[in-house]
Amino acid sequence: MTDTLLSAASPGSRNREQVRKGLRRRHRSEVLFRWAGILSIVAALGFVAILFGMILSKGMPSFWQSTLHLEAYFDPELIEGGPQPQREDSNSDADYQRAYSNWQRAVTLSNWNTVVETAIRAQVPEFEIETGDLLDLVTTAARFQLRDQYFANPDVLGQTMPVSILGSANTDNWLKGTIDRSQPDARQQLAPETRQLADQFLEQGIIRFDFAGHIFTNVDSRSAPASAGLAGAFMGSLYMMMVVIVLAVPIGVASAVYLEEFAPKNRWTDLIEVNINNLAAVPSIVFGLLGAAVFINYFGLPRSAPIVGGLVLTLMTLPTIIIATRSSLRAVPPSLRQAALGLGASRNQTVFHHVLPMTFPGILTATIIGVAQALGETAPLLLIGMSAFIANIPSSPMDSATALPVQIYLWQGNENRNFFEARTSAAIIVLLGLMLMLNAIAIFLRSRLEKRA
Amino acid sequence: MDMIAGKIKLTSKTVDQSMNPLDVLERETRLSARDVTVHYGDKQALFGISIDIPDRAVTSFIGPSGCGKSTFLRCINRMNDTIEGARVGGSIKLDGDDVYDPNLDVVELRARVGMVFQKPNPFPKSIYENVAYGPKIHGLARSRTDLDEIVVSSLRKAGLFEEVKDRLNEPGTSLSGGQQQRLCIARAIAVGPQVILMDEPCSALDPIATAIIEELIDELRENYTIVIVTHSMQQAARVSQKTAFFHLGKLIEEGVTEDIFTNPEHKQTQDYIMGRIG
Repeated sequence: MTDTLLSAASPGSRNREQVRKGLRRRHRSEVLFRWAGILSIVAALGFVAILFGMILSKGMPSFWQSTLHLEAYFDPELIEGGPQPQREDSNSDADYQRAYSNWQRAVTLSNWNTVVETAIRAQVPEFEIETGDLLDLVTTAARFQLRDQYFANPDVLGQTMPVSILGSANTDNWLKGTIDRSQPDARQQLAPETRQLADQFLEQGIIRFDFAGHIFTNVDSRSAPASAGLAGAFMGSLYMMMVVIVLAVPIGVASAVYLEEFAPKNRWTDLIEVNINNLAAVPSIVFGLLGAAVFINYFGLPRSAPIVGGLVLTLMTLPTIIIATRSSLRAVPPSLRQAALGLGASRNQTVFHHVLPMTFPGILTATIIGVAQALGETAPLLLIGMSAFIANIPSSPMDSATALPVQIYLWQGNENRNFFEARTSAAIIVLLGLMLMLNAIAIFLRSRLEKRA
Repeated sequence: MDMIAGKIKLTSKTVDQSMNPLDVLERETRLSARDVTVHYGDKQALFGISIDIPDRAVTSFIGPSGCGKSTFLRCINRMNDTIEGARVGGSIKLDGDDVYDPNLDVVELRARVGMVFQKPNPFPKSIYENVAYGPKIHGLARSRTDLDEIVVSSLRKAGLFEEVKDRLNEPGTSLSGGQQQRLCIARAIAVGPQVILMDEPCSALDPIATAIIEELIDELRENYTIVIVTHSMQQAARVSQKTAFFHLGKLIEEGVTEDIFTNPEHKQTQDYIMGRIG
């Protein structure tokens, strides 16, 4: 009895020894793998940090732009048209309208540059500088700025009012040091007097770096780069996203539901499935060509319009939504379908009452990922003319517009590199902020939907 | 503890069979199957099954795994339709109506033949919604009060009402396994079926929950024709009046439960009951 026990024990202990010998090797590979994992995560996070750090450090300063705080005298001798015509009982509507538009024209044609010039000179009466060099200090849109201010409140005629006028892009460069200050005069954008004046104003507090809210409210501008903004591109992107959501979500979800729940499994559906997967792998620029050929040439839709951009991006987003919806449909347990079918629910009722609601979080995530992808897409938009310079906020998806990523591309290529390098990063910050917001909404909605289910 | 013991005792009492076992032979036939065959693609799963299922009694299908008992059960309410490549031959008649008649609407059939599945599968909705769903889609309730009544009476019949009456709006998935299965039974009853099919309804439950469900099945027998597939021979012996033994896709033997268990005709049946095959 003891013998058999012993002989039974010895092979067991030999096994244990074998296992123990292997253990060290196994532990070592485990530790190695864990370290490799940590290392790759650190590397990935490092790159993301570098990227964000660079974009933020470059882009953030351009949200604060040099602004001149001046006292402007609305000189009745310079501003033509006199006081705003008042509505009197004796006037007919047409008379009043005519008088008003005459006044408007006269005001617009007034020499606003001189008003600006006087306001600047009033700060430094002794300083000798040519008019052209002096006006280089402020953005060329300064005169429109004063004019609009006057239109808004014509009572200031003959009075002196505090105004803040945006400095020009070159002033901004000089004061922020984005242009090399040690370069000789010949290589500087501004005359020596202008630079001196800018420095002096900054010292006196007449020029301050104010928050540049106009980045969000103005449209792109080539003549007055300092006052260029993203509003047009933002609206263009918004319209495109609307088109994408309105078209891609219903079409994508419907196709996915049909393919997954209703379609027979045969050679045709296999072919469709393969092609949907292929569609997801098609380079985006090809979709742009397709959009130009089909939507613009064949259907005659307007060029540069968000509607066309939206249609092209819909085509790109569809496969993402279809594939994700199908996989979340597949994840719904078959027992749920059986429960509904067993009760006598029709296939339609089974899908729409029970299966589809379970996939809402998945569809939502897919939609937002798809939309975020579309939001950042540039290449196809270049081919349908959305890289054109548009100085209007589009009022409908049929108007010409540009998009945020295209605006980034355009600013990146602008000739005033010193100014637009930071502006490009600022636009990237806005785009990234928008995407982070979309993702946050997705996470919030998903967690809420999942809690409810 | 006393309560649980009482439940089990109660159940074991029902095993004594309040119904005379031979009564089952005199019951009307509710379902009759003739030469039913099922193919899954190229593979034949059922070979010419013919059986009569009596009204208002429990008929159990027993047999080793893969013998085709569940497959046959799923033929009765055409759940096999949902499986890709499944073909059914032969005829199954429910009160004389051919279940596989192309003119028969499968939705209507499933309203007449309810089903309870192996794993409790309540909808991820409230307890109330779970039970109300069937009557709602079939338009059985004319008003909200009608619907409330159906829900309450179905939950009562399934012996669940007292346990859940204060939380009808809580999700059905928050119940215990046994309660979930009774909720599924209530859900099936709510449609007012003639036949209830049960596909191993207790295989995912503990013995106490199983005893409660068995007791419930015995009560439901008075109003419904019940067909139950089970792995447990003890369960078949406890709850059913008629038993059919399946093996390798064939119906080997059917008859009054007592006869099958005490005096089987075929050697295969005897072997299975004795635990020699399985």
